[in-house]
Amino acid sequence: MKILTCPINGPRPIQEFHFGGAFRELPDQSTISDDQWADHVFNREGQPGLQVEWWYHVPSGTWFLAERDTSSDTVHRTFLYQQEDHA
Amino acid sequence: MSRLPAQDHHWIDQADPVRFSFEGRNYQGYRGDVLSSALWAEGVRVLGRSFKYHRPRGIYSLAGHDANVIVDDGQRTNIRGDQLLIENGMQLRGVNTSGGLERDRLRWMGMFSRFLPVGFYYKAFHTPRRLFPFFEKQMRKVAGLGAIHPGHAPVASPKDYDFCDVLVVGSGPAGLAAATAAADCGLKVMLVEEQPRAGGSLCWQWTADPVATQLLSEQLAAVQDSPNITLRCETQAAGCYADNWVALVDRRRLTKLRARAIVLATGVIEQPAVFQNNDLPGVMLASAAQRLLHQYAVSPCRRPVIMTANDEGYQLANELADLEIPVAGIVDLRCDADPTTWQNRTTENGIPLFPAHAVYKAHPGRGKKSIKAVTICRLDDSAVPDRRDRQHLRCDGVLMSVGWQPNSALISQAGGRFEYSDELNQLVPSQLPDELFVAGRANGIYGLADQVADGRRAGLAAARQLGTWHQPLPETTLSPERVPSHAYPIFSHPGKKNFVDLDEDVHLADIVNAHQEGYDNVELLKRFTTVGMGPSQGKISNFPAVRILARLNNASIAETGTTTSRPFYQPVPLGHLAGRRFHANRRTPLDQWHRDAAAVMVHAGAWLRPEYYRRDDHSRDELILAEAQAVRDSVGMIDLSTLGKIHVCGPQAVEFLEQVYTGRFKRQRNGTLRYAIALDETGVIIEDGIVARLADDHFYLSATSSGAATFYRGLQRWAIQLGLDVTLSNATGQMAAFNLAGPASRKVLAQLTTADISAEAFPYLAARQVDILDTSALLIRVGFVGELGYEIHLPANQAAAVWEELMQSGQDQQIRPFGVEAQRLLRLEKGHLIVGHDTDALTLPSEADVEWAVAADKPFFVGGRSLQIIAQRPLTRKLVGFRFADQHPGPWPEECQLVFDGTEMVGRITSISRQSTLGHAVAMGFVKPELASAGTKLEVRVSDGSRVVVAVSDLPFYDPQNSRQQLESD
Amino acid sequence: MPYRLLKYGLRSRHPEGRMFRSPASLGDEYDVVIIGGGGHGLAAAYYLAKDHGIHNVAILEKGYLGGGGTGRNTAIIRSNYLTEEGARFYQASVELFQGLSSELDFNLFYTERGHFTLAHSPASLRTQRWRAEVNKTLGIDSHVVDPAFIKQKVPEIDLSCGGHQAPIHGALYHPPGSIARHDAVAWAYARGADRQGVEIHQQTAVTGIELRDDSVIGVHTERGYIKTRKVLSAVAGWTPSITSMVGLRTPLVVHPLQAMVTEPLKPWLNSIIVSASMHVYVSQSTRGELVAGASLDPYELTSMRSTLGFAESLAGHLVDLFPCLPDIKVLRQWAGLCDMSPDFSPIMGTTPIEGFYLDSGWGTWGFKATPISGKTMASTIVADRPDPLIEKFGLSRFRDFQLVGEKGAASVGH
Repeated sequence: MKILTCPINGPRPIQEFHFGGAFRELPDQSTISDDQWADHVFNREGQPGLQVEWWYHVPSGTWFLAERDTSSDTVHRTFLYQQEDHA
Repeated sequence: MSRLPAQDHHWIDQADPVRFSFEGRNYQGYRGDVLSSALWAEGVRVLGRSFKYHRPRGIYSLAGHDANVIVDDGQRTNIRGDQLLIENGMQLRGVNTSGGLERDRLRWMGMFSRFLPVGFYYKAFHTPRRLFPFFEKQMRKVAGLGAIHPGHAPVASPKDYDFCDVLVVGSGPAGLAAATAAADCGLKVMLVEEQPRAGGSLCWQWTADPVATQLLSEQLAAVQDSPNITLRCETQAAGCYADNWVALVDRRRLTKLRARAIVLATGVIEQPAVFQNNDLPGVMLASAAQRLLHQYAVSPCRRPVIMTANDEGYQLANELADLEIPVAGIVDLRCDADPTTWQNRTTENGIPLFPAHAVYKAHPGRGKKSIKAVTICRLDDSAVPDRRDRQHLRCDGVLMSVGWQPNSALISQAGGRFEYSDELNQLVPSQLPDELFVAGRANGIYGLADQVADGRRAGLAAARQLGTWHQPLPETTLSPERVPSHAYPIFSHPGKKNFVDLDEDVHLADIVNAHQEGYDNVELLKRFTTVGMGPSQGKISNFPAVRILARLNNASIAETGTTTSRPFYQPVPLGHLAGRRFHANRRTPLDQWHRDAAAVMVHAGAWLRPEYYRRDDHSRDELILAEAQAVRDSVGMIDLSTLGKIHVCGPQAVEFLEQVYTGRFKRQRNGTLRYAIALDETGVIIEDGIVARLADDHFYLSATSSGAATFYRGLQRWAIQLGLDVTLSNATGQMAAFNLAGPASRKVLAQLTTADISAEAFPYLAARQVDILDTSALLIRVGFVGELGYEIHLPANQAAAVWEELMQSGQDQQIRPFGVEAQRLLRLEKGHLIVGHDTDALTLPSEADVEWAVAADKPFFVGGRSLQIIAQRPLTRKLVGFRFADQHPGPWPEECQLVFDGTEMVGRITSISRQSTLGHAVAMGFVKPELASAGTKLEVRVSDGSRVVVAVSDLPFYDPQNSRQQLESD
Repeated sequence: MPYRLLKYGLRSRHPEGRMFRSPASLGDEYDVVIIGGGGHGLAAAYYLAKDHGIHNVAILEKGYLGGGGTGRNTAIIRSNYLTEEGARFYQASVELFQGLSSELDFNLFYTERGHFTLAHSPASLRTQRWRAEVNKTLGIDSHVVDPAFIKQKVPEIDLSCGGHQAPIHGALYHPPGSIARHDAVAWAYARGADRQGVEIHQQTAVTGIELRDDSVIGVHTERGYIKTRKVLSAVAGWTPSITSMVGLRTPLVVHPLQAMVTEPLKPWLNSIIVSASMHVYVSQSTRGELVAGASLDPYELTSMRSTLGFAESLAGHLVDLFPCLPDIKVLRQWAGLCDMSPDFSPIMGTTPIEGFYLDSGWGTWGFKATPISGKTMASTIVADRPDPLIEKFGLSRFRDFQLVGEKGAASVGH
């Protein structure tokens, strides 16, 4: 099966991972309008292409980010949220 | 008998006869024979019947590229006769006949073929509507090949894994060379071959060539001698998946292989010519004839015609002449008159040569089960048969050598792309991913020495990719001396029966007609005509169909395209894919104790939990009520080890909890607990449980058994994204938990602990570490079931001992273990919801009457902002209690049955118990807010359609003052 | 009746003309442009013409007719959904399907088989009962049955599921559950639309949508520009690319859904079997193949690649359910794309962009809705107002947090 590289554990089979969806910054609760909040909660980019997204390595409980092309399924890099700029 | 004298290179052992029966008749073959070769040697010509017209079929490719011979052995069905090695005692029958292969009663379908053109079933049978089910049933009966044997339940085979540096698929000249080249560079090589022996085309195409025979034995020896090469025969590479993950399938099992590089030396698939009756027994691919001759020592025919467009056809003619099998003629589709060595030899052998001719029609023999002659026509300037210039040749077989296409399935799946070569009239790989290499005829390389060289190149290229070869790669030539494949070996006939797809009985006119109807691109054509959709998945039919379509569209092959190749290369048994299956069950440390106590265990997600405990002859309902009553009256204990248990520690633990739960924790005193609910971002309840504060910066959370892992995972992400200094740890499996509940619970517990658990020292909602016997446990006073009770959380490996001591200690209080059903009842009496049972995927705190747990004025908590938006619109439902008429005799509603106000659906029952410790039925559920006041009379529709009256009731049913769980005195 | 087949044998030339024309060029202007030549787009065109007399319609399909979800699904048709809106909607589709072969005069092989949704736990049985109750209230034939009933109707099933995991507790039984020949539905609607003047343009990808003041005025294609005031997007797994052309944001994410098929077999399985917790569904086609699928691929991907893990897992569940299957061979596996919505209900109707209509959010539940989606989108386009049947499925429901929760009824997929 496909291999995904966990930043902590190295390359592991994809079945060891849980997909956490596209990465989204948390908007400022105090200033956001109702429409903007609903957009944040529900709407997604969805288009094929490069996406920064959350992944979780289940056996070790590690959350990390991946930059992946969602049409070719090529993972460009994986990294810990805390370590890098992720936007 | 068509068996030839034994020779060393044959695959059969003529000293080892094998007896089997086929279609009720006994035959004899030899060890190493496949069913098709053994039958052919015995003179049997009808080996199968086609799917639609039930035409007789014989050997065609003998390589698994056609599906003419499909048999059933009494236990398994859809077995391919070309691959089935015969064993003594086998009893085989052809599939999909009515009355056996010889006398198949459905063979008259062929007579009606003119009324059954392509897609005929779309045009008829649907009106009148009421008759279609009858027609569909009849169609199902004639469709389908083999029948499943219902009594046969084989054990599925175990799977295994393997690894290698280089996978080489195909052990022909190119594959063998690639394997040894890579192995010589120090790489671990896996070489797989779908046939029972290695050698590929060296085993049947080149046996008359002493250079080739020498090459074969040298290469096989090199493979055997190399410690780096593992050779697996009778193994197909069924599919190639992401990151070089390959499914290897043999008779016994599926192997999942991870390779670092792959060399595909899969060779070519010989393609048939299309002419009238090109499907009858005796018409076969030249390579099939060679396999028969050189592997199985069987003569393909007594007197064949060879239809060719390349040197290989002449090569075959000379081989037959050498074996004293008279060739009636060589019909060469080409017009060029530049004879090669091969051609000169055939003239020497006295074989008549017919250049610029085509076989136009094969004449059926007696009973249409063979052929007796062919009509050949000269090809005019447009390469169309000229019927006026024709000849009649007596023969009993047509051996077709008109061209090849790469065996491309794996190449495509691995990400390779193809382009059409006009020089070769075949597809060649044009773009390959970095770790994928193609060698040999699949790469368009035809000369034997060239194939070997190309194999070596590919093996070295793989080694270079993997860093163990640093020199330049040898070059290989790509242009052949002559074009090996004919551009259009396809000839129309007004009488049709010139087949393009043998599996589906699609003939040339079908494709023309489909095109006429507008199915003019390759995908639509395939789906409408079903070309390529049968068991051989288009190996010998897809390309001819593409050629025909290109011509009909006046387009090039490139413009026409081909259909996509999907796994599997050859069909794979479900049992191989299934393996032994591993289904994990999670058991608590008390699992054995429960079983010994006659618990009826139930699945709760992956966990097994006691539903209730059997005792004497009492019914399930009686026992559940008795367990619940024991808790109310005295004391009971339930194993709660499946609950989620999570530690949250750190300087920002409080901030964290206040942001992931709806409640407040800042002022929560150490040594106490709170009930808490958690929402998702849309405001929906996802979890509930307790939050115990063990220290300023240390909290201990509980979560539902089924949601724990997901909740923990979610908390981890929030911790990261909120940027808070907090550490989480999932102790669900590490800790066991019990709930000791009932008015006598303190008495029971007191015997086992020196800690002060009096009402003053250990009040309701206290949470502290205490020693129970020698074990340090977290003791929590909760009220889920509505009685004085203690949850005991302790390390799993000490749980059994403590549980047993508690049960022992509770004997004089008549302590009773209770299961999930009793717990459900007890909490229902208290009106406590169960997340996922009373709540669904959309339940909000306002609907579930837990708004008291929501501190709406916090600046941020997950789901909070959404609740603000949702609060702007009216509530649509509320969770309430329901009571039934005293003396209601039944029937009783079941959970999820609907509540009605007249004819309007206004809610549903989420929890119900007919019996309770209160002596009456209790229920909970949703109802519209305007109908939610106590006393409102509504109806529930039960299973038989009748209505039961219910009255809305306040919750809880039991002990509304909550005095029992807060019991301050004994 | 089969006597229709006589004309094939008694005429020397094949007597059928083109099912649908292939117009040589793209017109300058159309009343409605439909993006997507799958079942939904073709059905919408058909009903625009038939129900509303609108014939000046162009369908733009970037590949070949029905090449997307329509040609890849496992063709199960049913209406036993959980929500009132959903059940009503799909029931209307079932009713259209029942008469569709006659109406389009093309055999769609619509065959009632009976549909079981197996429950392996009390919780799952509860959900099935909830569905049954809602269905019954709407007059849909759907009820909960016990294991004995299942065994009687499906004798080859192992109620203990191989003994490894939770056994079958019961099922939701829906007698009208059916299968059909999915490609034929596209072809028949295509012919029906084409005969009424609709132009079907294959191999014509849309590259942009022209707006003026938040209103549609035209469509850019690979073959030129078209003027129009009304555009329907009916492209399922490709929706995000189209909606981005008009600056519209949706909740849709695209995941592959895989399926596989065995070699053809004599009649063996008469019912459609779905297991909610084992995430498997299987039926037997008229051709005799067992057609099976499982749950949605776990991560976003716009590629129709197959995985071995899918085949292994599905095979494992099939063998657990049907112990006589291990020797039966899988012929082929494939995949399609699913545009998943958060509540497993479609996203249909009008949008804030005037003249831009959306038929999307079809996830793993789109094929069965082919006729009704076409019909309701046609009426929506004409009235410029959502058809009553689809009012609750509008894109705006997410802004209002008014989800239509079908997660318990879309058989597999999450």
